[in-house]
Amino acid sequence: MTKHVVSRESFSRRIWLKTWQGMGVRFAFAWIAVLVCMGVFAPFLANSMPLLMSKGGVISAPVLAYLTREDVVVLGMFALAVMLVLVPLGVGKRVVLFVLGTALVTIMVNLLLKPPAVMIYDQFRSPTYTEADWRIMPPIPYAPQDYLRDFGQTGLEAPLEAADRIHLMGTEENGADVFSRMIHASRIALSIGLIATGIALVIGIVLGGLMGYFSGVADMLGMRLVEIFESIPTLFLLLTFVAFFGRSLYMMMIIIGITSWPGYARYVRAEFLKLRKQEYVQAAVASGLPLSSILFRHMLPNGVAPLLVGVSFGVASAILAEATLSFLGLGLVDAPSWGQMLNQAVKSSTFNWWMAAFPGGAIFFTVFAYNLIGEAFRDAIDPQLSRKAGVTA
Amino acid sequence: MSQPLLDVRNLHTHLHPGNTVVKAVDDVSFSIPRGETFCLVGESGSGKSISALSVIRLLPHGLASHPKGEILFNGQDLLRMPEADLRNIRGSQIAMIFQEPMTSLNPVFTVGEQIVEALQLHHPDMNDAEAEERAILALEQVQLPKVRERFHDYPHQLSGGQRQRVMIAMALACEPELLIADEPTTALDVTVQAEILRLMRKLQDDTGMSTLFITHDFGVVAQMAQQVGVMQRGKLVEVGRTAQVLRNPQHAYTQQLLAAVPENLGKAGSSPHPNSPQQGLGKGEAILQIRDLNVWFPIKKGIFRHTVDHVRAVDGVSLDIPKGQIVALVGESGCGKTTLGRAVLQLEKPTSGSIRLQGQELTGLSARELRPLRPKMQIVFQDPQSSLNPRLLIETTLTEPMQVHGIGSGHEERIELASRVLDDLQLPRDTLWRYPHEFSGGQRQRIGLARALVLNPEFIVCDEITSALDVSVQAEILQLLLKIRAERHLTLLFITHNIGVVEYLSDQTVVMYKGKVVEQGATAQVCGSPQDAYTQKLLAAVPRLMV
Repeated sequence: MTKHVVSRESFSRRIWLKTWQGMGVRFAFAWIAVLVCMGVFAPFLANSMPLLMSKGGVISAPVLAYLTREDVVVLGMFALAVMLVLVPLGVGKRVVLFVLGTALVTIMVNLLLKPPAVMIYDQFRSPTYTEADWRIMPPIPYAPQDYLRDFGQTGLEAPLEAADRIHLMGTEENGADVFSRMIHASRIALSIGLIATGIALVIGIVLGGLMGYFSGVADMLGMRLVEIFESIPTLFLLLTFVAFFGRSLYMMMIIIGITSWPGYARYVRAEFLKLRKQEYVQAAVASGLPLSSILFRHMLPNGVAPLLVGVSFGVASAILAEATLSFLGLGLVDAPSWGQMLNQAVKSSTFNWWMAAFPGGAIFFTVFAYNLIGEAFRDAIDPQLSRKAGVTA
Repeated sequence: MSQPLLDVRNLHTHLHPGNTVVKAVDDVSFSIPRGETFCLVGESGSGKSISALSVIRLLPHGLASHPKGEILFNGQDLLRMPEADLRNIRGSQIAMIFQEPMTSLNPVFTVGEQIVEALQLHHPDMNDAEAEERAILALEQVQLPKVRERFHDYPHQLSGGQRQRVMIAMALACEPELLIADEPTTALDVTVQAEILRLMRKLQDDTGMSTLFITHDFGVVAQMAQQVGVMQRGKLVEVGRTAQVLRNPQHAYTQQLLAAVPENLGKAGSSPHPNSPQQGLGKGEAILQIRDLNVWFPIKKGIFRHTVDHVRAVDGVSLDIPKGQIVALVGESGCGKTTLGRAVLQLEKPTSGSIRLQGQELTGLSARELRPLRPKMQIVFQDPQSSLNPRLLIETTLTEPMQVHGIGSGHEERIELASRVLDDLQLPRDTLWRYPHEFSGGQRQRIGLARALVLNPEFIVCDEITSALDVSVQAEILQLLLKIRAERHLTLLFITHNIGVVEYLSDQTVVMYKGKVVEQGATAQVCGSPQDAYTQKLLAAVPRLMV
């Protein structure tokens, strides 16, 4: 059994190595890695409070005291992921452990952590914090919700316009630093894309696979379900839910997830319908292999190519859906988001280029990166294609 | 007769895929006198189709070039003729028939329209009524039944044989001097092939045209050609009168090809049935008993998908397969032989009837109940392209079923067992660490056989395992199969449409026609003195090497 797992892991490692070839995909991974780092370490990269300060011989880290629950959960997930990558385990076990660990961390944090309810960022510019022996500030010394009220009537300012403060990407209409908001928003962009698509993928692969493999009645019922879900307009469902239940990121993820699975189910069904009559699948049945092996080992890897392209577009479109909602002013109220920032580019009478260029560029690059990765993965998973392209070592 | 109609001199055709140069046709010369048929024979990849396409210059312009040689047609050099002049010759003076009748007609036009279009292109002065008359005449010439109705049919309404007739009619409508036929009967059943070949010979006698006939089947060569050329890797290794080449081949490759034809296999080597006394002994115990087996596929109509009728793929078949024998299941495409093979393994659910493997009833068992029985019965498939999972190493393909059935105690031992099976099949051991696309068709079929053998089965269904292979590769596989069957005391159900293979390989023969078994018995008896009318027709249609 152990040997078996090893041989299987080497398969996924081979795929990974092949995906890694090529320049475009490396840039894409680098961009996603930058986004992940920004999302995970956002409170340490852009915050109004010092990372570390010494006052009268007492060393304190104010940033740790003001971490939100969300910050801690994200950090915990990141640590978990790093640990699991280092420990040699099968892919399936890693995924299970990661999900379980995340759930555990979330419950613990919600029970134990009591962050301060109200944040007054102005206090960090008061003598209590500034008159220290020494202090280390984050690279961007402004929190995303720090509206700089102590600087008087601030508002939209172009990059480096203010004389006494440095805002590399300017400030938004309430006076908060745009760079800081960009960094914090990458968390929303990443998570909504991955989680919404993840939900859709799981439902889509399972239902589509069963529909395609069993066909007949299962297929007919499944397809009717697909048609029902396809007829729901996601954006209007989101608008309705926002109107009834208020604004919640998690609700958005779930709604985007459960309305976008029919596309994946269709892909998987079509592939499985084609594959189930393939002779190697018939041979697997004739060899008496269990259903899970037939479905997920012999059929899915052969039918996954169109799905991957669909997934890369799915992640991109989930990000765009959130951006759209935020652009329409129906996103999260106070939390930063790229779409919401885009909204401000056109809101005032003048066109504020920095409010369009930076978040717009970020959305563009993220969507582009996912598409590149999807395509590279599709090529890598096909031994013939990768051999032809001269990718194999 | 002094000047041949087509004179190909030192033809070179180079293909340029990427930056490499493939010498697809390398210094080929032959000539075809008026009214004669010249056959180009060779295995796949030998350059015979490329030669034919070069003659009519149908190869893609950027991809192919002809650095040397000339093709003289009525004294004109086709290779140096401008494209516009060539277009006048194509169709009207040189016509072509392709291999695949399913795709060589345009599906959105009726067959009549397609012939009329070809006619009017080459005879612009011909009006619609005249062209239609000529087209109907051409269709009558190829003996299509009910021509006036068929004229307005779309290609999908015709059978494969009828479509090939339409293709011939279209080619002949303009009364060409040279007909190029690229494997025109390969995709057809043997009885249909016999009719088409007879028709082509008759039309040639009537019109006096010449034919360049491309095939891989020496039986067809013997029936059609006055002259034959044997191609190997782009070179023409032997040219001569047909009877001479077939009876007394000079080149080693021709000898090898002819020896590999199943008809000759039995004569040349040792007798394939050394254990004939065992036949009587084995008669008593049948490893597999099939009783009144029906496999019907419902035809559903309407919004409620109610069943209006059934396609009776297998219709009341009863069959005993004696232990240790090779039973050949013969029939034309669509006769239900593959469905029967799959139903035996429960890959297709039988509608009714009983299948017993060593007395154990198989029908009605759930997948879970079937699993312990699976290792006893295995299957090898026809298509080497799709019979192996392209995403898995051969090692995984071979060891996974062993693991599921608890054969071998650990991964190491399973690898060793799999290697031993590969040794038996004369495959190198590093086969395990490769992907399916790295192998040729013949090697893949051996790997497919290995996948069946690792489970130590007692009974294997071989579903047309050699029909996609070249004749020399087929000979290797058949010989291997006989060796393994003797070593492992296997029982085989060998499904095929090739009578030559049946005669060489099998102890017993079962003939199927339209879902029913029409004749069964010892192979020598069924092939020597067939009783049923259909079997007689089938055997008569087989193109024999020696006529």
